[in-house]
Amino acid sequence: MLMISPRMASGMQEKQYTPSLLGFFVYNPLFGPREGEEEKKILFYYPSEVEKNEKIRNVGLCEAIVQFTRTFCPTKPAKSLHTQKNRQFFFEAEESFWIVMVVRNPMVEKTNKDGKPPTVEYQEEEIIDTIYGAVLRQCYSMYKLFNGTFGRAIEAGGVDLLRQRLEKFFYRYLQTLHLQSCDLLDVFGGIAFFPLDKMTYLKIQSFVNRVEESLSLVKYTAFLYNDQLIWSGLEQEDMRTLYKYLTTSLFPRHSEPELAGRDSPLRPEVAGNLLHYGRFLTGPANLKDPEAKFRFPRIFVNTDNSSEELHLIVYKAMSAAVCFMISASVEMTREFCEQLDGLVGPQLTLLASDICEQYNVNRRISGPDKEPQFKFIYFNHMNLAEKSTIHMRKTASISLTSVHPELLKILGDINCDFARVDEDEEIIVKAMTDYWVVGKKSDQRELYVILNQKNANLIEVNEEVKRLCATQFNNIFFLD
Amino acid sequence: MAGDVHNKGVSWEVQQNGTLAPVDRLREDRSESPTPGLVEGTEPGAGQKSAMFVHSQSFEDLTADSEVSTETHPEGDCALGEAGEEALCLAAKEKIQIELQPEVEEEVRPESRSKEEDVGSEVWRSRRKHVFVLSEAGKPIYTRYGTEEALSSTMGVMMALVSVVEADKNIIRSIHADGYKVVFLRKSPLVLVGVSRTCQSDRQLSRELQYIYYQIVSLLTLTQLNHIFQHKQNYDLRRLLAGSEHLTDNLLRLLDRDPGLLLSAVTCLPLASSTRDIVSSSLQAAKAKNLVFSILLAGDRLVTLLRKKDQSLHHMDLHLLFNLVGSSSSFREGEGWTPICLPKFNTAGFFHAHISYLEPASDLCLILVSTDREDFFNLSDCKSRFLERLNRRNAYQALKEALKCPSYSTAQVGIPELRHFLYKSKSSGLYTSPELPLPYQSEEEQERLMGLYQHLHSRLHHSTRPLRSIYQCGETENLIAWVTSGFELYLCFSPLGTKAQAVAAVVKLLKWIRKEEDRLFVLNPLTY
Repeated sequence: MLMISPRMASGMQEKQYTPSLLGFFVYNPLFGPREGEEEKKILFYYPSEVEKNEKIRNVGLCEAIVQFTRTFCPTKPAKSLHTQKNRQFFFEAEESFWIVMVVRNPMVEKTNKDGKPPTVEYQEEEIIDTIYGAVLRQCYSMYKLFNGTFGRAIEAGGVDLLRQRLEKFFYRYLQTLHLQSCDLLDVFGGIAFFPLDKMTYLKIQSFVNRVEESLSLVKYTAFLYNDQLIWSGLEQEDMRTLYKYLTTSLFPRHSEPELAGRDSPLRPEVAGNLLHYGRFLTGPANLKDPEAKFRFPRIFVNTDNSSEELHLIVYKAMSAAVCFMISASVEMTREFCEQLDGLVGPQLTLLASDICEQYNVNRRISGPDKEPQFKFIYFNHMNLAEKSTIHMRKTASISLTSVHPELLKILGDINCDFARVDEDEEIIVKAMTDYWVVGKKSDQRELYVILNQKNANLIEVNEEVKRLCATQFNNIFFLD
Repeated sequence: MAGDVHNKGVSWEVQQNGTLAPVDRLREDRSESPTPGLVEGTEPGAGQKSAMFVHSQSFEDLTADSEVSTETHPEGDCALGEAGEEALCLAAKEKIQIELQPEVEEEVRPESRSKEEDVGSEVWRSRRKHVFVLSEAGKPIYTRYGTEEALSSTMGVMMALVSVVEADKNIIRSIHADGYKVVFLRKSPLVLVGVSRTCQSDRQLSRELQYIYYQIVSLLTLTQLNHIFQHKQNYDLRRLLAGSEHLTDNLLRLLDRDPGLLLSAVTCLPLASSTRDIVSSSLQAAKAKNLVFSILLAGDRLVTLLRKKDQSLHHMDLHLLFNLVGSSSSFREGEGWTPICLPKFNTAGFFHAHISYLEPASDLCLILVSTDREDFFNLSDCKSRFLERLNRRNAYQALKEALKCPSYSTAQVGIPELRHFLYKSKSSGLYTSPELPLPYQSEEEQERLMGLYQHLHSRLHHSTRPLRSIYQCGETENLIAWVTSGFELYLCFSPLGTKAQAVAAVVKLLKWIRKEEDRLFVLNPLTY
């Protein structure tokens, strides 16, 4: 992304460049151990246009860096390399399989008056390692969700199959990485949970049980409302990645037609059928279409142990979305989809309007809808629960936030401080802009609050945060 | 914010005009209780006259390549034009088996160089901070632990990494891994590499490497260093530096423990201002034609510093002098005479330092810095005149009394929850800090506390996200740090302290420092 800020006074023009992806590659040093065979190590390289020798050289540097750091700690090799122009992140995704991401430092380009080439200044301390390290790991998790492990691809079809899969997946996926807007939430990779009363929660659970009973092919189910999770039968790690995929990729892609069709509640193809609003987000767009294909995306879960390959069916009615996962060994048919549509559609429609009603009642009780009083981010490491009043809306392209990026980076710094020691801690800082930023870590939970009370002192800031904890978190944080 | 960075990259000549130094102020101008609105120069500890040091050369300054500007004007300085030439002729003439050698001898110290330890062994690997110096040909020059010989291949790899990244028109800065980082500093013709398990920032580590670099330059001058490697790229610099390793070892130890090097400041011997003024004026009277600086030290504390008008000493150069004196006991045996380059002043030439203790058993050490290599007897005479005056005015006895308590305890401040603190007056470049209390007296704990201060410092002075203040509450202590345009303050409390206590303590401490500033700081620096 590029921002231009002309400086009239000096007659100079400044171009500000945000961090961007310079390179992304996967290699395995064991695949080309002999001199002259180095190219064989490289399994995937972006950008692919790069000349062969340069690819080999860049991969060679990464290998050398990793090897060099083993001198000082054989078990914990390098995770990142900082240079003037860029940062490189190293991740050994599977034994001997390394993924490297190269991110260019943000920079300011100043045009010079008298025809001299523009001067470029790199902002070397802008990028926070933990954030981009997390983004890199997420890239692998996402690959693994849709393709299984690297090792599995090798077993199934040798190095060539792995290369194909990497090419196919990352070619598209890398274009969806928006490195300029990565922040603390990428480090957490958390899940937003939908707050719900017990009664409604039980209704949802009994719905899931009923469906799983009637459609015995369904192995796992996950239930979301308003892009927030309510129920999941998957392992936490798998759900984390699936959740990321659903909320940043699948749902946003389907939200546009939905918004457009809000006034005419019925799908054209079911006009006259007032039974339900359900539809498939994956698989067939229209069941009535005789040409419809019953192909669903395949996902891989429990890859650490048994590794299961599943069909991912995402079915949505109004704001409620359900993921049904069925063993990939079963072939998906029209009959099954019709059965699912007929069974789930009406029930889910009903359930969705129930939740919506309940949600509105709760909101009325808790007060009118207004700009959140506190700007905060909360994360619980135990259940991955995440809540942010700073991020207004997550979409595939960009995450909109209501605070200055500089403050978000301070949150990132505080998070790094917390990661240093495994004990409860509190950090309160006053930024140069006079904003106060408070970070608390207590018993696997982290809370970050941004306060715009420029004239407050430390004691008043502390009181404010106490109020927030009392109202929002039932006094989870006791540390004073 | 602007106040913190306004001197970034400014060469030392600019400050010599005194334009940035605070003008003379009357005591009445000094506010009773300092507030963040204080103008630099009115904070507690601010000098009454122009500052002794090239002041406000804050942390930022050190990370900028300021010597570039001195190199481009090798004769920009009147006092040192000669010295520069002299260095060149020295380099040409002798195969400088540095004149330092006779004086600075290797001593047996408790933490002597662990040369014997096996490179690659568990002990070697788990060292808290490694430092390596190598030439651009990849030849080992220095290692803190292990032997250079055993590390020649490792250093070769380091140089290769530097070169590969440079081939891409890029510069390698650091490598990060879980629990440690490797920082590279390219200071042609040398390459310095630090491997650290501390929580220091890249910038802080890189700054420490700069200290080591300047330590080497102070022995040889940059001119000579360049000359050697231009002449013979493959030169084994250890031949020239043999015997000086303990200076580097000691400097590294100071960097780990001495807050002054972190704060870019110096601490003073607590002394009644009347006594200090007599000492200063006595030193002022004992001048000589080529004398540029006279420095009286009490152990690692400054008693007073006199300088030629219009010449300022950079705190880094002063720390290198402190290190030279502190690393060697041989100066106790008589008057020492040694060439020394003060790299922040001028990387091209040597000064000549007359170093002697006032009495063999005393901690009082006098450093007289001259531009003339034939000045030994003149300076020796200066010393006698100084001593004579000091005795005549009965200040010597008072000085010796003050030496009995070279420090003070936190208890004297009267804030029960307060364990320890650092306070730096930005305009004078002086800091004060009580002795370490009980929980921090062991070496590990001392370094841990320093680590906490270093961490707060790195957050406050972050290059793109600086902070005004930071409060950190953990299981072992509560800390608060605050930086204003006039001062920097770091307080360490017991973990049971509350935020209200911390806020109250800051106010109380600043009042106390204001009350004690006469004793704790050099408020009336003099010039010849």
